[in-house]
Amino acid sequence: MAEPLLSPVHVSAGVLLLALILYTLFGGADFGSGVWTALAWGPRAGTHRESLFSAIGPVWETNHVWLIFVVVTLFTVFPAGFSALFIALLVPLVIALIGINFRGAAFAFRHFGKHEHGTARLPATAEVFSISSILTPLALGMAVTATAAGRIQVLDGRLAAGLWASWITPFTVMGGLIGVAMCAFLTPIYMAVRVPPDLQEDFRRYAVVAALALGGLTALQIPIALWDAPAFAERLFRPLPAATVLLAVALGLTTLLLLLTRRYRPAQLAGAATVTVTLAGFGAAMYPDLILGQLTLFDAAAPAATVRAYLTVLPFGALILVPSLWLLYATFTRSVELE
Amino acid sequence: MGVSLAFHIVYAALGVGLPLMLMIAEGLALCRGQEIYHRIARRWIRPAAVLFAIGAVSGTILSFELGFLWPGFMRFAGGLIGLPFAMEGFAFFTEAIFLALYLYGEGRLSRRALFLCTIPMTVSAGLSAVFVISANAWMNTPAGFRLAGGQAVDVSPWAAMANPAWLHQALHGTLACYVATGFAVAGVHALALLRGEPPEHERRALGLSLAVAAVSLPLMLLSGDLAARIVAHTQPAKFAAMEGIFETTRGASLHLGGWPDVRRGEMRYSIAVPGALSFLGFGDREAVVLGLHEFPPDRRPDPRPVHVSFQVMVGAFFLMLLPLLWAGWRWWRARPAALPRRALWLLVLSAPMGLVALEAGWLVTEFGRQPWLATGYMRLAEGVTPREGIAWIFLAFLGVYIALTAGLVRLLVTPVRPRTSGPTGQVAFHG
Repeated sequence: MAEPLLSPVHVSAGVLLLALILYTLFGGADFGSGVWTALAWGPRAGTHRESLFSAIGPVWETNHVWLIFVVVTLFTVFPAGFSALFIALLVPLVIALIGINFRGAAFAFRHFGKHEHGTARLPATAEVFSISSILTPLALGMAVTATAAGRIQVLDGRLAAGLWASWITPFTVMGGLIGVAMCAFLTPIYMAVRVPPDLQEDFRRYAVVAALALGGLTALQIPIALWDAPAFAERLFRPLPAATVLLAVALGLTTLLLLLTRRYRPAQLAGAATVTVTLAGFGAAMYPDLILGQLTLFDAAAPAATVRAYLTVLPFGALILVPSLWLLYATFTRSVELE
Repeated sequence: MGVSLAFHIVYAALGVGLPLMLMIAEGLALCRGQEIYHRIARRWIRPAAVLFAIGAVSGTILSFELGFLWPGFMRFAGGLIGLPFAMEGFAFFTEAIFLALYLYGEGRLSRRALFLCTIPMTVSAGLSAVFVISANAWMNTPAGFRLAGGQAVDVSPWAAMANPAWLHQALHGTLACYVATGFAVAGVHALALLRGEPPEHERRALGLSLAVAAVSLPLMLLSGDLAARIVAHTQPAKFAAMEGIFETTRGASLHLGGWPDVRRGEMRYSIAVPGALSFLGFGDREAVVLGLHEFPPDRRPDPRPVHVSFQVMVGAFFLMLLPLLWAGWRWWRARPAALPRRALWLLVLSAPMGLVALEAGWLVTEFGRQPWLATGYMRLAEGVTPREGIAWIFLAFLGVYIALTAGLVRLLVTPVRPRTSGPTGQVAFHG
């Protein structure tokens, strides 16, 4: 690689990865609340659903903006990559998009509709909310892993592998499931800190189940990658990605341990760190490509002036955003009030 | 894409306008200690929150559609118009954060803090409109690059953002959001008064929304005038199409109504105001206005949709001006007295006119740019996706939008009933 190690393109790629991670950490937890709305069990399942619902109320829209941020960064800094990815991943992205729409609408309608009619009046919205909460991270997870699957080949705006085969492989299906598992893993861990003690135990149980599922799926993904996405697997065994993977495993086990010993606050940090490092490992393995084996970050990048302009705007934006976000979360994490 | 945008414009316009109204209401409540304004604001919250949520998801659809439908255009222009989109992203983020704080913060934040939240909300909502419009303006008057071998070189994203059409489009478009919101809200409250809702609350809410409309509507005229001059200079083909000018004319007339007959190359059935067009475009009644026939047939827009949209926009403007003048006159003459029922009905009828004008104005700029996607550089056909079967996506999204809108309308319409029977002045939001 002739390019310097810390070029504007590198920084922008880092920002893109960071935005994706933040979307998973915040938006993912929103999806997770939908997953657990569907899966909630036990005598207090109704209370679980209600507390999940009121917890994400104030923050889901903000969390959702991270996705817009990912998309905007992609097309500002990597327009060629944006173009290729949106041709290749049309179907999963459309599915995710429709999921996001129905999810947001179901949530808004339920939230603002229930005051007149009582909670039980609109059960259909809760179902729409759950189904789309599972569908969306599945489709997005598949789309993200498809960039690593080595099947995306765009020639003159046409897909070499066709509309479906470009993104449906055992490897990407596993990626989608991992996406759902990540969401399901984060939500109960976050919730355990915020709910009264009797509910804490229930959410702890959910978190342990999800942690085992996530661990199992990611572990399984490595042999699947060796068989189905060998190019990615080869990258994954380079020193830096391999070290990241090991760190993710260690963090995951730590989270599980903290959950089992009921230390919720550290578990929250460890859980978020697990997801962060897992995604960072994926990013490290992808480097220096945006689409594995097809398009490097540098080939996808916009003209240097644009990348520089983007990075110039970024700190100003962050200056406004970071304190605002802090204010938002600080205001609403004080405790969940059940209505 | 066009259909998605048409829906999105409605949500987004109200999403830009409502924060301003919330800010004014909360500000009044705080400064004058009039609790009623706070209650008015809290009543607007429900529609504001739902509209904003839907605006957010429909905006996401749009950003995805850029990739689905226009991969060629985005490959060419992504690096050029990405900057305002990135800024819009930040502005939108800020708006979302403070809206959430404002909406859900009651009980957790002081009243002063709630009011303070509405300020960044209003500012960032306005800014996000201004930034997004920059991208559209760039398509009308591309700037900030040089074309070499089909590739954009010497790219300057700052120059691209500050393209010639940005100023007038941003002013005109953002003000239009305020006008549209003012009238839409005024119409709702006028209807409530007609139905016999408690007049104290409704009258103040009506007054506030009319005040917003009354301030922004004249500004629309000024920004429209500015727009006419800039378009006349920078987009002569669009200017000609707006008024159906086929042959280059000295002292061109303004056509009211009418239908551009493309085959015969003349305006028919219109009322012509001699010299007015030259004056509006160039400040001189004798100025020369380029005609459509100056442009090769494959490089000029079809004047029919452009002229009709333009007429609709101007017509809607006057349909708003009239009731506003009437209401203003009555208000000035007999301040505490209620508006007569006829004036209220007129306000109800003019409620959608702001949105109609906004949509029509957008159609003017879009149809007027045809056949270009980026004027002079890329045609519509070159930027569109090469993929067949795009129709099903289109239908899917149309379905999504219709479902969203149906749900929205149902939600916004239903609560009117229980409120009439409930105790007066009770805030529905706390349920």
